[in-house]
Amino acid sequence: MKNENYISVDKNDDGIDRAGFLKCMAWAGTGLFCMMSGGVMKSYGMSQLIDKNIGLLKKGLMLPKADFTFAQISDSHIGFNKPANPDVVGTLQAAIGKINAMPVAPSFILHTGDLSHLAQADEFDTLDQEMKSAKTGKIFYVPGEHDVLNDNGKQYLQRYGKDTKGDGWYSFDYNGVHFIGLVNVVNTAEGGLGVLGNEQLEWLQKDVKGLSSSTPIVVFAHIPLWAIYPQWGWGTRDSEQALSYLKRFGSVSVLNGHIHQTLQKVEGNITFHTATSTAFPQPQPGAAPAAGPMKVPAEQLRTLLGVTSVDYVEHNHTLAVTDTPLVIANK
Amino acid sequence: MRVSKKYGVIMALGIVVIVGIAAVPAPANEYKNLKVLPKDISTKDLSRIMIDDFEDGLGVSCGFCHAEEKDSHKLDYASDEKPEKEIARLMMKMTLDVNEKYFQTTHPMIGDSTLSITCITCHRGQPRPGDTE
Repeated sequence: MKNENYISVDKNDDGIDRAGFLKCMAWAGTGLFCMMSGGVMKSYGMSQLIDKNIGLLKKGLMLPKADFTFAQISDSHIGFNKPANPDVVGTLQAAIGKINAMPVAPSFILHTGDLSHLAQADEFDTLDQEMKSAKTGKIFYVPGEHDVLNDNGKQYLQRYGKDTKGDGWYSFDYNGVHFIGLVNVVNTAEGGLGVLGNEQLEWLQKDVKGLSSSTPIVVFAHIPLWAIYPQWGWGTRDSEQALSYLKRFGSVSVLNGHIHQTLQKVEGNITFHTATSTAFPQPQPGAAPAAGPMKVPAEQLRTLLGVTSVDYVEHNHTLAVTDTPLVIANK
Repeated sequence: MRVSKKYGVIMALGIVVIVGIAAVPAPANEYKNLKVLPKDISTKDLSRIMIDDFEDGLGVSCGFCHAEEKDSHKLDYASDEKPEKEIARLMMKMTLDVNEKYFQTTHPMIGDSTLSITCITCHRGQPRPGDTE
């Protein structure tokens, strides 16, 4: 009996055939779709919103009301061309297509770094060109370590660092929510851990000092601000100090990339998310000798890129996390 | 006659432009301490070697070989302070020798994807071959 899950032609001995690659890439290019309602953030993985058979928004979807929405995409790695995904531009386009298919255009997009693979001008140019097709008001960036190769981030700053401080950190307010973009890839610690550095930490302390404790906070940076797997550099050495400045706030959401998979954690008032990549998956923490682009049998890729939704409910000045399915109309 | 004069002027200008372009030296990279890799290597080729051969091949990040600047956590790419950097140079030389001597590769270059032996052949994502986590 024919099993369509078997790989019939495996020319590169990498466990991926063309049909399997295309099938699974329908699941790649995912991002995070976030809605703010009364200072509470709800997030949905875009794979949940898309019918994988037709590549369009699921029929009958009706999103709850929100004050505003925004999307997060991450780790586009434009310039990467290995078997784990030889078409990173195509999967970025798929992610943008999903954003553009949303019933409500996001007010803005956060790109949490590794825009490029080798920090080359032509890679940044391609990223910029593709992002222009996103239907949104504005795109905010923070760099990944791939964006600052060789020049400690000079080119990144020239392109994306207007109106930012230091190595490119900044904050802005939108509809009563305070957004903070941090840079933890220019300074690095032993083992590849991210570092914020004293200058940025001092700035952060001052930045939030005047805010009311009821102000919802969204922090975004490339390398996770919680210790996911320090052996692979999946954490930030001085993140605890940064988070200590945010403890007094009732609602803090931290959005990261870098690890190319969705993980979530709640610690007190702070909820952490990591986003999938639009380019290629990486192994689960500790599940391989090292982090890096992962070549897997096609059917595993779907599982690795799957995401779940989180609903943040403010209750008695605390946050609860529950899985919330999207509302299906006519059901 | 007027037409040929016009073409003459255009040709002369074209020659001036071409000679001018040829006289401008190719922009040199800013790398100060390359000893095994070609001194005129492009930033793209160098970055690809750092990512594909070292970061992915050995499962390390830049700070594994590169020392930090004094009074900062930024990396000083030219510094030879960390012994791992010199070891990396020796490893690159060994890799080139093995390809040339045993696989008859003429003019092997680190970063050439057609090489028979690369860093990952032995390292398999580990800083030291044979390491098990």
